[in-house]
Amino acid sequence: MSPMAGTHEYAVDVQGVGKRFLRHADRRNSLKERIVRGKAKNTQDFWAVRDVSLRIPQGAVYGLIGHNGSGKSTLLKMIGGIYRPTEGSIATQGRVAALIELGAGFHPDMTGRENIALNGSILGLSRKEIAAVTDEIIDFSGLNEFINDPVKHYSSGMYVRLGFSVAVHMKPDVLLVDEVLAVGDEEFQRKCFDHLYSLRRAGKTIIVVSHGLGQLEGLCDEVAWLERGQMQQHGPAVETIAAYLRKVNAEEAARNPLVSAVREDEAVRAGDQTVRAVSAQVTDAGGTAISHAETGTTFAVQIGITAPESVLGPNVRVALQHDSGTLVTMLSNHRWGIDFGTIQGDHTVRMAVPDNPLLPGRYRVHIDIFDYTGSRLLDSWNDAVEFAVRSPRGEIGQGLVELPIEVTFE
Amino acid sequence: MLTDLYSRRALVWAFANRDFATRYRSSVLGWAWSLLQPLATLVVFAAVFSVVFRIQAPPLGNGNGSSYAAFLFTGIVTWNLFSSILNLSMTQLKSNGELLKKVQFPAWTPILGASIVQLVQVLLELVVLILMFLFLRNIGWTWILAVPILLGTLLFSQGVGLVLSVLNARYGDVQYIVAVVLGAMYFLTPVLYPVSMVEGQNELLGWVIKLNPMTWYVQGMHDVMYSLVAPPLWAIASLVLGGIVVFWLGFLAFERGSEDIGELL
Repeated sequence: MSPMAGTHEYAVDVQGVGKRFLRHADRRNSLKERIVRGKAKNTQDFWAVRDVSLRIPQGAVYGLIGHNGSGKSTLLKMIGGIYRPTEGSIATQGRVAALIELGAGFHPDMTGRENIALNGSILGLSRKEIAAVTDEIIDFSGLNEFINDPVKHYSSGMYVRLGFSVAVHMKPDVLLVDEVLAVGDEEFQRKCFDHLYSLRRAGKTIIVVSHGLGQLEGLCDEVAWLERGQMQQHGPAVETIAAYLRKVNAEEAARNPLVSAVREDEAVRAGDQTVRAVSAQVTDAGGTAISHAETGTTFAVQIGITAPESVLGPNVRVALQHDSGTLVTMLSNHRWGIDFGTIQGDHTVRMAVPDNPLLPGRYRVHIDIFDYTGSRLLDSWNDAVEFAVRSPRGEIGQGLVELPIEVTFE
Repeated sequence: MLTDLYSRRALVWAFANRDFATRYRSSVLGWAWSLLQPLATLVVFAAVFSVVFRIQAPPLGNGNGSSYAAFLFTGIVTWNLFSSILNLSMTQLKSNGELLKKVQFPAWTPILGASIVQLVQVLLELVVLILMFLFLRNIGWTWILAVPILLGTLLFSQGVGLVLSVLNARYGDVQYIVAVVLGAMYFLTPVLYPVSMVEGQNELLGWVIKLNPMTWYVQGMHDVMYSLVAPPLWAIASLVLGGIVVFWLGFLAFERGSEDIGELL
């Protein structure tokens, strides 16, 4: 390849790359088939990646996101030189190490130490280089006690820890990471992240494929979003991830049923039934039923009640319970000093939650209705509806609610 | 190509170490097993072919009669070098498939590594052969010539093995075809009998045997180890050169055929 002006600034330069696979069913991998049926017809071709161009500057942390089967891993394997692009070109600078599958090169009968040496050679290190980092690798993996045992006696966690330790100590200029960050226990994961951050500080280029969008948001400078093998969008991490999530959420919204329930009359009831909850719905700010709520966007729980006789100002109480069992909060009109006055007939109670502070997860809605004193139960409807909260950003598993905070720094 | 081979020697060596370390790790007798197979073959074949079929070995180089067992074992050692390198090479890509799919490195490195380990076994067999000739007091300077001949055999076998390994990764049938061909070729190579027994018997069979490249290597070994006759220099040179050419062609074919090996496996 002829040296182009400025090429050296890019650790990875991908130009118009495409990868075509033959469908497995149509592969001629027996001689008989090859002879009897001739060359494979091209009708079964499948482009896993097509027309993808991206330039990754030296020292950048770059994320690849997309649905399963979007071509992220194929692209990563091409950058790592495991797959050859069918079209286009890929230029990389320096030593590329792939964390595609941790411990892929381990031999079960060999000890941890022997495997470090073998894996080091496979990843391109000289004997001297390997000897220099072996102790560091063992320390990092935390497997000092077991390093002279055959790896077949290792637990899967130990196996992966050793694999990760080997790969990140290979002094790569470009490190490719494919979905391997979700391994090991909490402590080791943190260690991995710390190490990736230190590699980043050291000016190494890192390319990460992950579904952990929250992790990517924190780690990556830029993110590329692939959709069916094609580049959908690329740019600053926060923007690209937000765009991707908007698409995912919209798709889910279109696919999922609206969160809405009408109570069946045969249901077992508690309370004296002078007021009854008959329907429940989750809606957006405008009152339109939705299929999920979004963190930061106003949503409402809308309850249909009916009172056959006139009843003095009841208290409608909505309990929101997280899937894990934790009661997150109770919404109640009395608590907010709102009295419905004397009611009779059908009414709709809407409890809007402005700028929804709930973080992603599934939430169950329980409805109780009390009399105006708040002491006598009129009706109770457990598990009226259940709804999901999604986030336009990547925070998953970071708790139940987002609290408004004020930060000062001196 | 030579610079490739040289720059990746550490990796070839690492694979050799792996295979070396794991080969007999869980067996008690270890390397002794590797000698048992050729020795058992030797005993059975020597009994059957010299007693039942009454095959007469040519005279020993020292003039003290003949020894069918020594003649046979010279052939077996040479043949084993060829067939074991071939068989081992053929399965290497598949047995290292998981690795080749996930990490980028030259696919020929585990093949050469495995061959190095196999060479250790061949050397052990060679030691037994030499002990046998020492016992028979059939000793000569021509033994030195076994080195270039075996080197030629090795390069020739590795060249063919490299090609077969790629073919076997692409087409699953190759290993079955090779098993059949090797089985037939064994009998068409003068391992069990001297070529002189075929000459004048059947014109066609004689030609087939003479055109079989393994015949040249085995005969060369018979000459220098058993008959203690030095073949002409051009013959030795062409055995080595032939090996170099086959290895070189095999390596080039392998490089072309293994470009997308990560997807094939």
